[in-house]
Amino acid sequence: MRFWLDFQESLRIAMAAIFASKARGALTTLGIIIGIVAVTTTMTAFNGMQSAFREGAAAVGADVIYVSRMPWIIMGDWFTYRNRPNLSMDEAEALRDAFTGRAIVNPTMDTRQDLKYRSEVMEGVTIIGTTEMLPIVTNRLPETGRFIMNFDVSYKKNVAIIGKTVADGMFGSTSPLNKEINIGRQRFRIAGVMEKQGGNTFGGPDFDRQIFVPISTFLKSFGGRRFGDVDIAVKASSIDALDDLEYEVIGEMRKIRKLRPAEEDDFSINKLDSLMGAFNSVVGVVLLIGLLVTGIALFVGGIGVMNIMFVSVTERTREIGIRKAIGARRHSILLQFLLESAIICLFGGLIGVAVAAGITAAINASGLMPASISAGILVSAVVIAMLVGVLAGLVPAWKGARMDPIDALRYE
Amino acid sequence: MPVAPKVLPELESAVLVLRDVVKTYVMGSEEVHALSGVSVSIGKNEYVAIMGPSGSGKSTLMNIIGCLDVPTSGSYSLGGEMVADKSETELADIRNRLIGFVFQTFNLIPRADVLHNVELPLIYGGVNKAKRIALAKEALDRVGLSDRLTHKPNELSGGQRQRVAIARALVFDPSIILADEPTGNLDSRTGEEIMQMLDDLHANGQTIILVTHEDNIAAHASRAIVLRDGRIESDAQVENPVRAARAEHTVLAH
Repeated sequence: MRFWLDFQESLRIAMAAIFASKARGALTTLGIIIGIVAVTTTMTAFNGMQSAFREGAAAVGADVIYVSRMPWIIMGDWFTYRNRPNLSMDEAEALRDAFTGRAIVNPTMDTRQDLKYRSEVMEGVTIIGTTEMLPIVTNRLPETGRFIMNFDVSYKKNVAIIGKTVADGMFGSTSPLNKEINIGRQRFRIAGVMEKQGGNTFGGPDFDRQIFVPISTFLKSFGGRRFGDVDIAVKASSIDALDDLEYEVIGEMRKIRKLRPAEEDDFSINKLDSLMGAFNSVVGVVLLIGLLVTGIALFVGGIGVMNIMFVSVTERTREIGIRKAIGARRHSILLQFLLESAIICLFGGLIGVAVAAGITAAINASGLMPASISAGILVSAVVIAMLVGVLAGLVPAWKGARMDPIDALRYE
Repeated sequence: MPVAPKVLPELESAVLVLRDVVKTYVMGSEEVHALSGVSVSIGKNEYVAIMGPSGSGKSTLMNIIGCLDVPTSGSYSLGGEMVADKSETELADIRNRLIGFVFQTFNLIPRADVLHNVELPLIYGGVNKAKRIALAKEALDRVGLSDRLTHKPNELSGGQRQRVAIARALVFDPSIILADEPTGNLDSRTGEEIMQMLDDLHANGQTIILVTHEDNIAAHASRAIVLRDGRIESDAQVENPVRAARAEHTVLAH
């Protein structure tokens, strides 16, 4: 009860004090606003990058394990991976047979080729040889036409399903369906156009600058070597089953490769998780540096608040004396000034968050980079602002709270 | 638990008892003896003036009686509470509950209105809002200001401000009212009005301690303690204390 009364009285005084000197309060708040805007905008930019990356990486599939010769993110000595044997089509087929009825196994191979259609040329396009299972594994579907079918693979058909960037670049507004296109020295009939994938920010692979062909045709046309490097995707029945599946895939692969127990795996297991982890560790450092720099702005704002609170305490020395004389305890005075600085910073935080939301929207509209604001960022920005207020007010408030009432009453 | 004060037999009805109170300030390498052994006891419903020239220790004694300061040595009990060994928080609570201050410069909170100023001791004492407002209004009624509740101190005359301060001092029904030169910043006519009010409070049973250097103000009290060089020079009953023109001023006050 007593604390609540204290709190109400302190709140009343704090509000009165702030509104009694509006210009000063506004200028003090400005420092906090700038700090909060800087910190919050950094956070939204990071958030935007992360979600853009996640969107792009969605093509990888969260419930899919990739068996490859190399890990996607090479940690440690590259030479230990260099001498690994390629994954062959035979091994992919053996793995598929082992998981029949339990998981979908889809091999892919890729290369780069130049495209030609009449006078249009596109250089260095990624050609992916795969099977009819790819849409199931990656959730990617054709927008028009169809994807590779089982018989395309069986009969080594020269059909191609092109990505959106390829379609726009080579055919513009005319429909590419059933057009004959040259991939390298081979002729392919376009059977479908994939829907737009996006997410090629930050120099990642452009998922729309790809062409899919049956893997059998791929081997015949571009493979040359019978034992080219195959990537094998294994899709789990659910994300929860991913860990068990990974264990089983490793076991099957070791069996296929006839590895002895003491030998290390000579293949790598890749998944979205490891990609996200790598992204976070790189961009996380950038974020950390960003927050450190922008945090300095907030710190300077906090120093401004502390300064003003010292002025406020000195100005009201006599009032502190009066309050103490009629029975205010130390913590009542402390609370009064802490609330004042917390409220100044709360205002700063709220305004700062509003401005940051505006800037975020502007960044998105400009198309320079993705940015996204979340409730978590909003709430934590306001909480941080209040925390800065409490910290900045602590020393001045303590100075006021421990004043000697006799000296304070005598103060002119 | 309040510690039972060691009181002399004849002082059992005392509100406050000081025994051998010494206050020494250290200024640089020098020790200044503001009070060097003051013993005094003040009973319930006494009206005491503490007098003395500046430097006599008058202010120091007032600060100790008002629990704004603690003695270097000696004992002080107020309303049965030993003050000397209290913590700051306990002293704040004693000031809140047992002492009503009236200052020379009024010392109202400028941004708060009249009602809120009078409510303040009750807020710090943890009294709920409904009771607080009732008590504050009652106190303001006693000083004749119930029609000025929402005025700010700077909208009031000096006399009215001092009446607000008196209302604030008596709102929590304190053991003593400690008035430090209460008429020092007022013209003589308004000063008389304020003294009239204190006289009335005394007549209604309030214990009042008046700190002043003006003889005509001290003359209102029924007992005068004169300090000199940190010691009590004289402590005597006042013969025929001034209670002049009561009827006239009562009309003025209302």
